[in-house]
Amino acid sequence: MKYGTTVLDDIGNAHPRKNLRLRERGVLEERLEEADKSERAAIRAELRALPKKADHPYEKDLQSVRDQEKKLLQGARERRQKFLSEIKDKDPKIRSWLLEAAESEERYRFYEKHLDLSYDFELEYKKHFDIADQLPAAAAERRALLDELDEAQADLKKAQTEDNSAAKAEFEEFRVQRIAERDAEKAKLKQMRHDGIISAKALANEQKMSDLAADEDIKSKKRSLPLAFAKDRVRNIRHKLKIDAARKEKLLNADISDQRRRTPIETNKRFPWISWLTILLPGLGQLIIGQRLKSIFFFLGSLYIYLIAIPYSLGYGNYRGDGIAGLLSLAEGGARLDRSIIFMIEGVIAVILLVLALLLYYFSFRDVHRNEKKEIKGIRLNNWFETRSSLKVDGFPFIVSAPAALVTIFIVILPIAVTILISFTNYDPTHQSKFVWQGLVNFKQIVAGQGIAGGPFWLITGWTIVWTLLATSLAIFIGFALALLVNQDRVLGKRFFRTIYLLPWAVPAFITIMFFSILFSPQGPLTIALNNLLGNTNPADMLNIKHTTWGTRAVLIMLQGWLGSSYIFLLCTGILQGISKDLYEAAEIDGATGFQQTRHITIPLLLYQTAPLMIGQYTFNFNNFSIIYLFNGGGPFEPSKYGNMAGTTDILISYIYKLTIQNQYQGIGSAITVVVSMFIMFVTWIGFSRTKSFKEEKL
Amino acid sequence: MKVELVNIGKKYEGRESFTIRNIDLVIESNQFCVILGPSGCGKSTLLRMIAGLNSITEGDLLFDGKRMNRVEPKDRDIAMVFQSYALYPHMTVYDNMAFSLKMAKERKTLIHERVLEAAKTLQIEEYLYSKPSEISGGQRQRVALGRAMVRKPAVFLMDEPLSNLDAKLREHMRVELVRLHQSLKTTSIYVTHDQTEAMTMADIIVLLDQGKVQQVGAPAEFYEKPANLFVAGFIGSPTMNIFSGRIEDGLFRTENNLIIVEPNEEDARKLKDYEGKEVCMGIRSERFNAGKAEKNSITVKIDVIEMLGKEQLLYCKFPDDQEVVISEPGYFNYGLNEDHNFSFDVDGLHFFDAETTMRIN
Amino acid sequence: MSKKKTKNDALYLSDRQPLTTAKLISLVISYILLILWAFVILWPLAQIVISSFNGNQGSYISIGGDYKFSLKHFNYLFNETYFWNWVTNTIFIAVATALLTLLIVSFTGYAYSRFRFSGRKASLMTIMLLQTVPTFAGITAFYTLHSIIAAVIPGFTRQLFLILIYAGGGIASNTFILKGYIDGVSTELDDAARIDGCGNLQVYRLIIMPIARPMLAIIALWSFIGPFLDYMMPSILLNDPKSYTLATGLHTLINDQYNMQQPAFAAGGLLTAIPIVILFIALQKELVSGLSSGAVKG
Repeated sequence: MKYGTTVLDDIGNAHPRKNLRLRERGVLEERLEEADKSERAAIRAELRALPKKADHPYEKDLQSVRDQEKKLLQGARERRQKFLSEIKDKDPKIRSWLLEAAESEERYRFYEKHLDLSYDFELEYKKHFDIADQLPAAAAERRALLDELDEAQADLKKAQTEDNSAAKAEFEEFRVQRIAERDAEKAKLKQMRHDGIISAKALANEQKMSDLAADEDIKSKKRSLPLAFAKDRVRNIRHKLKIDAARKEKLLNADISDQRRRTPIETNKRFPWISWLTILLPGLGQLIIGQRLKSIFFFLGSLYIYLIAIPYSLGYGNYRGDGIAGLLSLAEGGARLDRSIIFMIEGVIAVILLVLALLLYYFSFRDVHRNEKKEIKGIRLNNWFETRSSLKVDGFPFIVSAPAALVTIFIVILPIAVTILISFTNYDPTHQSKFVWQGLVNFKQIVAGQGIAGGPFWLITGWTIVWTLLATSLAIFIGFALALLVNQDRVLGKRFFRTIYLLPWAVPAFITIMFFSILFSPQGPLTIALNNLLGNTNPADMLNIKHTTWGTRAVLIMLQGWLGSSYIFLLCTGILQGISKDLYEAAEIDGATGFQQTRHITIPLLLYQTAPLMIGQYTFNFNNFSIIYLFNGGGPFEPSKYGNMAGTTDILISYIYKLTIQNQYQGIGSAITVVVSMFIMFVTWIGFSRTKSFKEEKL
Repeated sequence: MKVELVNIGKKYEGRESFTIRNIDLVIESNQFCVILGPSGCGKSTLLRMIAGLNSITEGDLLFDGKRMNRVEPKDRDIAMVFQSYALYPHMTVYDNMAFSLKMAKERKTLIHERVLEAAKTLQIEEYLYSKPSEISGGQRQRVALGRAMVRKPAVFLMDEPLSNLDAKLREHMRVELVRLHQSLKTTSIYVTHDQTEAMTMADIIVLLDQGKVQQVGAPAEFYEKPANLFVAGFIGSPTMNIFSGRIEDGLFRTENNLIIVEPNEEDARKLKDYEGKEVCMGIRSERFNAGKAEKNSITVKIDVIEMLGKEQLLYCKFPDDQEVVISEPGYFNYGLNEDHNFSFDVDGLHFFDAETTMRIN
Repeated sequence: MSKKKTKNDALYLSDRQPLTTAKLISLVISYILLILWAFVILWPLAQIVISSFNGNQGSYISIGGDYKFSLKHFNYLFNETYFWNWVTNTIFIAVATALLTLLIVSFTGYAYSRFRFSGRKASLMTIMLLQTVPTFAGITAFYTLHSIIAAVIPGFTRQLFLILIYAGGGIASNTFILKGYIDGVSTELDDAARIDGCGNLQVYRLIIMPIARPMLAIIALWSFIGPFLDYMMPSILLNDPKSYTLATGLHTLINDQYNMQQPAFAAGGLLTAIPIVILFIALQKELVSGLSSGAVKG
């Protein structure tokens, strides 16, 4: 980084250097840049010949002023006594303000004489000038408010002792009169309603307004009674006093901050080395470059890193695990009570804590680094007031989202991470307490369709796809058809039909599924009815839906058609009602028949508007655990093909449930989960990225 | 309150260049100042900076000599009327108007008085207890004004407040706003893109374009002495006719010599330095005299006639298809496709430097 | 038909075209289909009601037998099962989920709508995608995670954990919905409120929140209904029949031979369904709009 002859302020304006020593160097450096080879050596020599810092006349001047400045600052204590004795006011705030103003006056008069020497002096000058300018006025305003408060309090005391029965009586009279007025108004309104001039709704509305108006009038009158009035006044002035001082100080700080932004700084530094040196201890860099209060927060971050994140990831303070090491070892060779899964989760927690720690390192480094670079350019660092106010503005969204982020990390991200990790282990019934990493074995088993758990995978996947497509399409078809039928122009009783068709959606699904499960059980009413219909009276050849694969599958699909059509119906009805009548009228004029209108207007519009939600319906059924599990538990079972764990109607999600929860094949269950989740995410992403709201979202 | 803008500039975060810069402006106490400009010229940004809703990157904003840059909006003693009125839909008109005072914890009696007083001035007493959604657009506009008045601000800021009203109501509210300003005597800053509003309401107009002040002055000045080509083209309807050409031997002539004009003495003196240089000459449609004269005359063909009653606008074409708009009294008889002679009123000419676009005379 | 003709001759007042025979037939078919489907819906639901009041039913439901009105199944439900525990558990979980969701989402919805900050879009998209992963994918972790938290914070019951899972699982989609709604509120209102003296939080509390109340209500409602409808998570996480929710609790009545009490299940289902059905019918428009405005999970 070259010195150059100018420095930039925060706004980007260039200022000439005041530091003559740096300026000389800057001039030479600039010449060196432009010079051709032959001249360079000479310029370099010139650069070397420049006086050393200590010998430079400018530095000497500067030092002598600095010495004077030191003396001035040392004199502050004595002056303080003198100033304080001159201030008559008793209010502590006013006293401190006036004191500060007097001291600042002293100082800006000093700095005034040395403006050309350094931007630091210029800033001090401007700053103290602002203080000396603003605080006396602020004090005067505060004095006026305090006097007003005294007066108001005297009034209040008077009002408290005085007999106020007359005022009360007057108020009472006003109140009675106002209520009478209001009642008269209302009576008149009623009469108008009676005569049919206004509608019932207007009447209710007007009456409400009349009530409100009278209420407000009476309340206000009540507050203007002498005692209440005086109380209100005192309260109001107190409030003003409370916020006024803070507001004025804030304003002064803000003005000083503006001065800082437009007064550059000159530094000898050419390279941002502090940020690199202090990278391992967040807070130290901030402290060194002079942001003390800010450094406290980063030091807290350091405490977190060195007292929480790192010890935890090294295994200290774990519940049962061993930090990051536990993640690798999975409690292998550990005590009997050590459980791999706990080691894994604590390992993941350790990783999360470490990631947070790394973020802290990064942000701290970036903060110091940027500030150093700014300073080299000429921009002053933020003081604490500026840091705090920018944090309030820019930090607000982060602060209010923090709880959400915390919950999401532990409830969404952590479990998913653990599931992904488990899929690479041999977590199964024989390895419940201790399991080990085994790479892609689970995935290989799935793909090859081998092993106890992986065997039926492709069979189940096939049925899952059939199920998803058929069940959802059936529901969509029924819902669509019903919506079209009910919303025909001539159909009467639309409301009646709509209410009934809403029921399958409104009744909690688990109740209806369980109830249908009862109805279709071996002794269930529907089974018996079905057999009566088929004429099977002999118990031996009675058809039992729940014992036949294709019977159960067919019933499941129909049941989902029954359940899912309701929501589709409601959705389509809403959209149908929103389609403009003009479209149909235009079509009619163009000669379209009713059927053509439906085919060419209604259905395309419906499809267009509901498409993303329909994709949602397919993914919903892909994952529709309840209906499969609650209806027949995934049965009937066919061990020869499906093994011992899965039934013939199990879909992937219920299969995962059985593997993981019922049979403790967590490893392979997780592997299937990972595969399924990636598939669903992909489908959702496609559907989602096509929605309008996503496309219009700009950053 | 006197409002001063000293070298104000605004740079949005993450952008390289300033949106507006070097704005210097003094609005005297009790003046009605209109900030006029095409959309995207930065006029709303400027108003929002005065209000404190946008920060000021550079320069100083002074209210009565006091620096306001970092004062919070609520402490600036201002009130603002928004384009969409920005009435709180969930509060009654009364609560809308009382809100700012309630936030400042003012005395209840004072709030009540102020609200009633404003409501009376604006004739919205009847709707005090209605919700904004229950009243008409014009009434909402009044409520928005009332909400601003209740604070008794030192500066009134208005951001295109009439643009959501229909033409008739807008005209009515324009008059009413002027009347209100005359009775309240509050310094007002009004942003609009509508030159009629600016010309009829303002004491002082500030015309902005591309983040720069083009001209500041009284409405009449804008019409009579536009400071540059942009102002000349922006103010006035129909738009001023502008011809580009050069000065030769003290005469203005276009390239094909269809227009040759001899400026009046005063203009001629100022044009001396431009001998041989490119200049633009502007003339308003009403500064043409019907009929042929010795010099400064043109012959054009009438293309379209717009009859407005008391006057008519003649859209004419030169032989080279260049267009010119001329307005003549309505009772003159003109026919389409007729050739006619008109002469320039040399006292109504505007000359601009073609290079800098600045006014010469 | 003849009657109609005379009417036609006199005056035809309707805007619609007169009814042709073909249209009449299609209308009749429409009605037949509609009534048929209505029957298909009502029959099983009616069976739930009938069997819950039928005193002649044993532990199994059979249809076509004699009917005798009786409340004995309700008696059984109230006295022999933990039905009231299930009800209070479910309501507790539902209310807590709704409140927690509202609290978190209020802030995030406002922040994501009104503030531009780095990582805004990326974070929302990531979490939206992650949430499409079925909740119970992480069930093994939930199990262990709960035991770890419970060891650190005693009194952290499985029900509380369930609440966290429900609320946490809906954060992204609910934020997205609320953000979309708040985006529709003019930012000039924010500006006006700031000039009137509000800070960031006051702008939300006094202006945005009251305006966004309809959407907040929908979000609260869906979060409230969720625990009533879910069977899977409580069946996995809750282990004590006393701490069950309605869905898991009622399932015990039909799950195995020993506890089998199907009519009591019907009675319990009826009691659960009635308030929810009323809620759905009364608020169908709002609920559907909530669903379609951002596809809430579940």
